[in-house]
Amino acid sequence: MKKGIKGFIALLILFSTLFIPAEPVLAEDGSALQRVQDAGVLVVGTSADFPPFEFYAVVDGERQVVGMDMMIAQKVADDLGVELQIQDIGFDSLLPALEARNVDVVIAGMTPTAERRRSVDFSDIYFQTFQNIMIRAEDEDVYDSLESLSGLTVGVQSGSLQEDLAQQIPDAEIMSLTDLNDLLLALKTNRIEAIVMQGPNAEAHAGHDEDLHTFVGGFELDDDDQGSAIAFRQGEDSLVDAVNESLAEIEEQNLTEEYLAEAGEYMAQAELDEDGEEIEEGFIASYWEYFLDGTLITLLISASAVFFGLILGSLLALMRLSKVFLLKPLATAYVEFVRGTPLLIQVMFIYFASGMFFNLPALTAGIIAVSLNSGAYIAEIIRSGINSVNKGQDEAARSLGMSKNDSMRYIVFPQALKNIWPALGNEFITIIKESSIVSVIGVGELIFQTRVVRSISFQGILPLFITMLIYFALTFSLTKLLNFYEGRMNHD
Amino acid sequence: MIKVNHLKKSFGKNEVLKDINEEFSQGEVVVVIGPSGSGKSTFLRCLNLLEEPSDGEIVFEGTTLTGLNEKDLNQLRQKMGMVFQQFNLFPHKTAKQNLTIAPVKSKGVDKHQADQTAVKLLRQVGLGDKEDAYPASLSGGQQQRVAIARALAMDPDVMLFDEPTSALDPEMVGEVLKVMKDLAQSGMTMVVVTHEMGFAREVADRVLFMDDGYIVESGTPDMIFSNPKNERTQDFLSKVL
Repeated sequence: MKKGIKGFIALLILFSTLFIPAEPVLAEDGSALQRVQDAGVLVVGTSADFPPFEFYAVVDGERQVVGMDMMIAQKVADDLGVELQIQDIGFDSLLPALEARNVDVVIAGMTPTAERRRSVDFSDIYFQTFQNIMIRAEDEDVYDSLESLSGLTVGVQSGSLQEDLAQQIPDAEIMSLTDLNDLLLALKTNRIEAIVMQGPNAEAHAGHDEDLHTFVGGFELDDDDQGSAIAFRQGEDSLVDAVNESLAEIEEQNLTEEYLAEAGEYMAQAELDEDGEEIEEGFIASYWEYFLDGTLITLLISASAVFFGLILGSLLALMRLSKVFLLKPLATAYVEFVRGTPLLIQVMFIYFASGMFFNLPALTAGIIAVSLNSGAYIAEIIRSGINSVNKGQDEAARSLGMSKNDSMRYIVFPQALKNIWPALGNEFITIIKESSIVSVIGVGELIFQTRVVRSISFQGILPLFITMLIYFALTFSLTKLLNFYEGRMNHD
Repeated sequence: MIKVNHLKKSFGKNEVLKDINEEFSQGEVVVVIGPSGSGKSTFLRCLNLLEEPSDGEIVFEGTTLTGLNEKDLNQLRQKMGMVFQQFNLFPHKTAKQNLTIAPVKSKGVDKHQADQTAVKLLRQVGLGDKEDAYPASLSGGQQQRVAIARALAMDPDVMLFDEPTSALDPEMVGEVLKVMKDLAQSGMTMVVVTHEMGFAREVADRVLFMDDGYIVESGTPDMIFSNPKNERTQDFLSKVL
C-alpha cells in the first residue's frame, strides 16, 4: 500500500508542474555557455528524417545521425571544447524539448520564422535555402507553378515553414502530416497532388526516386524564411554568441559546401540495388539492424510496462477494495484520470515536464509513462477479477485462520488471475502496440526505426509492411504463451 | 468451551439475532434446527466471527472473541473448523493442497508433516485415492468430505457445520453424514445447523430449536422430538417430520 501512495505523490508532483508559470528566462551573464562547458557535452536535438541535413547512415560499421547539420553541430561542439550528443526527436517535438531543457540547442534545418522567434532564440542563418514543390514524375508537364496547383490537395510537414508557405497556393486544400515519408507515400499513392518541401531536401529525394519530380516553388519569402538557423532557449545569449562565432568561421571557409558533398556520399551509400528481384533481399540485408534494434526496444518497453503495470495495477486494485481512509478515492481518482486522458499526452507530459527538473532519458520517461498508463487499466481488470471470486472462498480461508493477506495472496488472487487472464492478455497485447507512441519523444522503438528506415531507404511501403509483420509476430507469440499458461491454470 | 452472551446481529434494519444466550461444552454435539430465516446460520457464523455481532459477546476457551485484534482472532479461528453449505473448496488446489495450504502458510506446520496429516485425513473421510484430484473432478459428496478433512487439518477443538448436506444430491447425503457421525463418536465438539432430523435424533447430545432470532427451546433429542413444549417447536416439527 505504501508504494501506491508514493506513486500517487509522484503523480501529484508531476501535476503540480502544470502550475509552475512558464516565465521566459531573462538576460543572463554567461551562465548558459558555462553550463554547457561544465557539463562537457552539448546536447543537440534534431529530426533525422531530413536528408541531406540530418539522416541515418552507417559510419565505420556503426549507425549514426549524419548530414550537413550534424557536421555543423560537431564543429560547434569542437569549438566549445565539449562532446557532441545527438538526440533524434520528431520535428514537432523539437521546440518543446528545447524549452523543457531536454536538449541544449536544436539543429534541424529549422527556419527562424517570426512565429518561432516568439518562443525561442535563433543563431545567425548558416544556410540559405529555397523552397520547392514536389510532384509525381508523371505530372511533370501538368504542374509547373503555384497557380497550376490551385484548388488541389497539397501536403506539408506539420509545424513547418512549408505549412505557412502552402497558403500561397490559391484555394489549395492542405494536408499536414508529421512525417515527410508519409507525405511522399501520400503523393505516390495519389492522395495528394504535391508537397511543399525544403529545396535541398526535395532534390535529395527526387534524385533517389525516379517517380518523383521537383521544381523551385517561386514562393514569396520573408528574409527570415530563406535560411536555416540553430534554435536556443530564450535568454541564453552567451551560448548564442559562442555558436555564432563558429557559424561565422563556417561561412568564411565556405564549409557548408564541403559538408553537403560529404552528406551526398552518405546518401549514395544508402542507395538500393536497382535490380527489381534483389531489392527485397537487399532491403532486409541493409536494414535488418534497424528493425532488430526497434524490436528489442519495443520488447523492453512492453516488458517493463507489463511488469510495473502489474505491480502498480495490483496496488491500485487493492487500494480500491480497501476500507482504509482515503485509499479508495485516491486510487479511483488515479484510475479515472489516467484512463480518461490520451497516452500520447501522458508520454509527452512526463518527458517534457521532467526535463524542467532533471534529465530523464527519453526511454526511461517512455517506460514510466506507459507503465503508469497500463497500471490504471490493469487495476480495473484485477479489481473485477477479485470481485469475481466467490465470497465463500475468502470465508473458507478465514475460517481456517488464514489472515486477510494470506487469503488474498494464496486463495483469492490466484483465482482472480485465472478469471482475468484473457483480459490481461488483451491488455498486454495493447501495451506492445501502444508502446509505439513513445516514438514521439525520440525513443528508438520499432515505429521510430521504421521512420528512420523509410527516410534513408527512400522506400515508403516496404518498411511499414515489415514492421506490421514484426508486430504480428510479437503479439501472436504472446498470445500463444498466454494460452499455454491459461491451460495450465485450468483445473475445471 | 464456547459461551454466548446476549448476542445480537442486525443486517441494516433487519434484526436477525435478537438475544442469544447459550453455552457449548467440551465434547458436546449440538444440532441447531429451525425454519428458514430463523437465524441459525447467522448464529453459527457469529461463533467464529465470520459475521461481526452487533452486540453481545462470544467467549471461546476463556478468550472473548468480540473486539479481539485481527491477529489473535486468526489464531483462535484455527481452533474452530467450519464446513459450509457450498463446500467452498479452493478450486485451484488439489484435494491434498486444500488440506495443507492453511497449516503450512498460516500455522507454520512443516510441509512434509502437513502432507502426511493430509493423506491420513483424506483416508479417514474415505478419499485416500483422491489426494491429487482437483475439486471440479469430485462429486458434491466427495467435495464436502474433503472440506471436512480440510477443517480437521488445522486440528481444531470445535467443528461448526453450516447446513453441510443442503447442497447435495440426495444419494450423497449419507456419505457425508457418516463422516460427521464418526467424528462425533471420536469425541469432537460439534455445532451443526441442519435439516437432517434423523441425524439430529441419532447423533446429537442436545438440540436447539431457533425461531425468529431466538433460541426457543433446548433439550435432548428425545425431549425436543417426542415432547416439544413450545408451540412453535411443535408447529415446525409437525411440518418436517
